[in-house]
Amino acid sequence: MIGTDVIVAFVTLFILFIVLGFYGKYWRRGDLNHVHEWSLAGRKLGTTLVFFLIGADLYTAYSFVAIPSGVFAKGSLYFFAIPYVMLTFGVALVTMPRLWTLARENGYITASDFVKDRFGSPTLAIMIAITGIVAELPYIALQIVGMQSVLTVMLAGTANSQIVEEISLLIAFIILAAFTYTSGLRGATLTAVFKDILIWVTVIVVIIAVPISIGGFGNAFSQVKPSYVTLSSSLVPAYGTLILGSALALYLYPHAINGVLSSESAQKLRKSTALLPLYGVGLAVLALMGILVFAVPNAMHFLSGFPESSRGILVVPSLILFTMPGWFSGIALLGIFVGGLVPAAIMAMAQANLLTRNIIKEFKPNLKDSSEIRITKISSTVFKFIALGFVFVVPATYAISLQLLGGVLIAQILPAVLFGLYVKSLKKVPLIAGLLVGIGSGIYMVESANSFGTLTVSLFSTPFGPIYIAVISLAINLAIAFGGSYVASKIQARFKQV
Amino acid sequence: MSTKTRYVILALVILIPSFVNLGVPIYNRDSPELFGMPFFYWFQTLWLFATAGFYMVFAHLKGKQQ
Repeated sequence: MIGTDVIVAFVTLFILFIVLGFYGKYWRRGDLNHVHEWSLAGRKLGTTLVFFLIGADLYTAYSFVAIPSGVFAKGSLYFFAIPYVMLTFGVALVTMPRLWTLARENGYITASDFVKDRFGSPTLAIMIAITGIVAELPYIALQIVGMQSVLTVMLAGTANSQIVEEISLLIAFIILAAFTYTSGLRGATLTAVFKDILIWVTVIVVIIAVPISIGGFGNAFSQVKPSYVTLSSSLVPAYGTLILGSALALYLYPHAINGVLSSESAQKLRKSTALLPLYGVGLAVLALMGILVFAVPNAMHFLSGFPESSRGILVVPSLILFTMPGWFSGIALLGIFVGGLVPAAIMAMAQANLLTRNIIKEFKPNLKDSSEIRITKISSTVFKFIALGFVFVVPATYAISLQLLGGVLIAQILPAVLFGLYVKSLKKVPLIAGLLVGIGSGIYMVESANSFGTLTVSLFSTPFGPIYIAVISLAINLAIAFGGSYVASKIQARFKQV
Repeated sequence: MSTKTRYVILALVILIPSFVNLGVPIYNRDSPELFGMPFFYWFQTLWLFATAGFYMVFAHLKGKQQ
């Protein structure tokens, strides 16, 4: 059972969070009946706010739950998240200002808007929108799993904890849905800043206090297997390709592009992107918690009361609870809790933009602005509750694995979205074929690597060692897109000669 | 600074951090330790600061170009 000081701190800050969310409507006022005002905050966010907003996209339950959980269960392999974030900002630094500029000139709100315009292909644009929506769902579900882990740890030992947990989640989601409906991205940005302050405070305090209380990092590292200290050489290809594949995928997610396009200028976007690797420091601290916890006997004892498969996701909240004073734990746990809520809001918003602009509008081109914004707001609410229902139905560990599959899927839109920015010779039919084969081969490899059972791995055994499936299917996809475009242009040239 | 030098620098500040990140064997070792942390962990964490520095150079040069 936890103390009242934890609960008081948690609830007080949650109320403050709600107030900020609703206040967003009045902040930097704009006409929220326009899509770009509601979902891009009027494209007026400066360097600092874009830093926080995109940081919120990165600092999700993926960092609080999936990564520490992986380090706790498997060891150093899951530290790939750190070089991955460094690389992804390099990719973004080169490509995203160009997308931003084109979006500003042509009024794009989504990556599909760009693709439709660039290749003149509604089919390709719709396929990219569907891929984005589908890949985003397990990502939202993962956020909810993160929030769930906080509640599980807080409610452990109380009666009816399962029901209380589900009701609390439902309430949190109703509040979230209400303020994103009224405030749009403005509400999400304000709460993102709030959440990041809490997380940064937590991370800094934990990385100083915990090693001191356990007698140094060395004490934790001496209690774990060698696979937690460095990588075994057989896992080097896995590590490298997980970095590469994840780095290429992150900025293809609809919510990341949404954050990019809300920037005020290309140069401000560049500056905030350049600084974003610093966020990785917090991520590294969180990942290390998966190892530090081995030196905290109380926390290990607490975790042993849960089934082995769900211990990982509880590592960060229980480590905090068992090493920090109660009031501080309350602050930190709320940080993790809203650390799932804020990204969930941005993700659902990005999905809703894709659905309305790139799918519904494609079939109903005469949609009025007022209808467009209404459908967008409603569908963003619906997407949140679909993800919540999903978490209530499937086990938490399964949600993490599905997120890996989401990464394999979203990587397949890279040829059209990123290469489409620069390469003139790409053509729509080879791109469509590449996307389909990339997705098909990706799903097949994921299924066969898991022997067509429960999804747990996203690595495929090759003669070069285990390789992240997203990278393999992306390579096939790129070969088809470029090869096909080359052949098509040769054939066209020949016809012209005749 | 000539345009050519500028492009070379722009390419280098993106490629150097990427090369180190993807060159896993460069940092896949346990010593030297720092505060009891294996090299593998502390190097990658500190490299984040260096990477941000490289990227800031990129952003700065690009800003001047326009």
